[in-house]
Amino acid sequence: MYKIVRKKVLRPTVTQLEIEAPLVARKAKPGQFIILRVDEEGERIPLTVAGTNPEEGTVKIIFQVVGATTEMLNHVPEGGYLQDFVGPLGNATETEGINKVCIVGGGVGCAIAMPVAQEFHRLGAEVTSIIGFRSEDLVILEDEFNECSNKLIVMTDDGTYGRQGNVTVPLDEMLAAGEKFDMIITIGPLVMMKFVTLTAKKYDAPITVSMSPIMIDGTGMCGGCRLTVHTEEGDKMKFACVDGPDFNGYEVDFDEAISRGRMYFDYERHAHEETCNLYKMADNA
Amino acid sequence: MALDPKKHEMPAQDPQVRAHNFDEVALGYTEEIALAEAQRCLNCKNKPCVAGCPVNVNIPDFIMKIKEKDYEGAYQIINKTSTLPAVCGRVCPQETQCEAKCTMGVKFEPVGIGRLERFVADWHNENATEKAEAPESNGHKVAVVGSGPSGLTCAGDLAKKGYKVSVFEALHTAGGVLVYGIPEFRLPKAIVAREVEGLKDLGVDLETNVIIGKTLTVDELFDMGYEAVFIGSGAGLPSFMNIPGESLKGVYSANEYLTRSNLMKAFRDDPRTPIMKGGKVAVVGGGNVAMDAARTALRLGAEHVYIVYRRSMEELPARAEEVEHAKEEGIDFRLLNNPVEILGYNNPDDPRDPKNGFVTGIRCIKMELGEPDASGRRRPVPIEGSEFELDVDAVIMAIGTSPNPLIKNTTKGLEVNRRGGIVVNEDGLTSREAVYAGGDAVTGAATVISAMGAGKLAAASIDEYLSSK
Repeated sequence: MYKIVRKKVLRPTVTQLEIEAPLVARKAKPGQFIILRVDEEGERIPLTVAGTNPEEGTVKIIFQVVGATTEMLNHVPEGGYLQDFVGPLGNATETEGINKVCIVGGGVGCAIAMPVAQEFHRLGAEVTSIIGFRSEDLVILEDEFNECSNKLIVMTDDGTYGRQGNVTVPLDEMLAAGEKFDMIITIGPLVMMKFVTLTAKKYDAPITVSMSPIMIDGTGMCGGCRLTVHTEEGDKMKFACVDGPDFNGYEVDFDEAISRGRMYFDYERHAHEETCNLYKMADNA
Repeated sequence: MALDPKKHEMPAQDPQVRAHNFDEVALGYTEEIALAEAQRCLNCKNKPCVAGCPVNVNIPDFIMKIKEKDYEGAYQIINKTSTLPAVCGRVCPQETQCEAKCTMGVKFEPVGIGRLERFVADWHNENATEKAEAPESNGHKVAVVGSGPSGLTCAGDLAKKGYKVSVFEALHTAGGVLVYGIPEFRLPKAIVAREVEGLKDLGVDLETNVIIGKTLTVDELFDMGYEAVFIGSGAGLPSFMNIPGESLKGVYSANEYLTRSNLMKAFRDDPRTPIMKGGKVAVVGGGNVAMDAARTALRLGAEHVYIVYRRSMEELPARAEEVEHAKEEGIDFRLLNNPVEILGYNNPDDPRDPKNGFVTGIRCIKMELGEPDASGRRRPVPIEGSEFELDVDAVIMAIGTSPNPLIKNTTKGLEVNRRGGIVVNEDGLTSREAVYAGGDAVTGAATVISAMGAGKLAAASIDEYLSSK
């Protein structure tokens, strides 16, 4: 069992947990993820590491309530326990040879982007961060990004905070103005990453995307996380858990990944509703 | 008394009934049947059956104990060489091992050795009252990576000799393929759990949620004071055919499909982990995993299940009993057929149609058998122009796996072969000192018993290495 040492509600549907997992805390690097189960009947869900405290032996995760399991996770109190917590999984984000980087985060993906931005800052790279949210009430981690970025641009879809528009707008402006990055790293919803990649492509700018497909074991056994990359030698099947989660944005078949991500859409929506109803009944009782 | 030429049949659930439940199919011999079957053993002097067993269970001796109605005595004989009798009695391919060598089998049907082994193991589990006790420690620490058949066997053998053994398991439950791969109806999980508990009684320490190669490395295990390491990390990345359509929704690797159902309990009515249920299903492959996937699909409510296999029944590698059971349950064997494409739904007028990207069928080509290939089996050759389509809603690829790269990538000096399997010598030793390996991590997908044999060999080698150190 893994103790939730601290719990912080960042936004009504976005929560930060610090979990006691000393072995994971000692090893996890920016870009890697963990898999957890809330209880012994629970499903295994992957979540990216948002930070570690090796001395204390804790791992930070930030998640948005989007389905039944994240709903249940959100109901575990501070001091409570998770059934399983395993990692770190996947490969750390490549930092070598990158002195000037642009981090483009979207929504709760910013929680994953943050430690990557911090790592580049720690290594002395020049960091530009663009973080985007649907609306003001979903904006997270602005202070943290401010601390580790030479330049920070906050975007909201509806203009209720920061600049109005998609994250691609300021990226396009910068690239059009001749700004050169050693790497653009984007982490967020698939559709956003697809369009960030298309924007980068207009200027031949190198781009890394962080994929988080459906998976079960996370160790290369189930093959559920497979995706297609288009390479010069033809199409190849890759497994996000062992080959990723970071991939060259130009090579990823986003449309296929988007389609595969919706495999259990109806099931998940139904399961989430059921779970919410159960919590409502418990609250009323 | 004349010898019965036929093996006593295994009592089993009615096919019509069992095709809709996850309870164990084979019910096991009663005492009466076991006694009668034991009478068929000739107790030959040269004991050819023992040589046919990868762990050399002293078969005639345990059968003699059954004849004497000393079932616990029979169990103790098996237990001397096999750590998991209740498992092996259920999943070993006896027809190609011990029973293939049985003298009775020359003229008649061989003795039902596997069934007798299961009877003895089940009798012990129901009636034995004494718990195994941890032997006196010899002060040596050994780490075992993976809690599948090879790891459990290696851990058990070493623990019995007084080693302090820690088993590291990546998943949340111990048992490896016995838990995530082999379905409940063939190997009840309670049996696996009992075997694991037995190891704990012997003093084995079991750490779940630890991925060697990620959470800890092999080198760190040595830093932690382990003097030898056994790698039994099992099967790795599932293989696909590299044909169009394998990324459609509804295409599973058998590993994923079985893990969802077995480990994550998606077979229950209201599971937390989803799985596609019902419809028509095609399973590609002819091994035990393919049979397990097909029969799982049926039990999950599929209206029709095909096995699509490119060779003929003669080459089909699955255990005979599983093939028989699958046929009885109504699995439709489409032999000498090879998939060339998986077909999916695509509404050209509506890119948001929720059905887009889901499987609708599988296109296959008919095959004929040509000259024998490197494996000695006749090579299947496509018959030009014979393509046809099967309407299906899901396709499960059960065509094997390639070894897991995590340990190889994080262990310096660990030699692997062209296919990624860890290279070992005849003692199970890898290219690294004090690092041993066995099971699917070495051989690629194989059987439970061969993995157990490798775990056993490595345990003996580790014992020899550490006791002479």
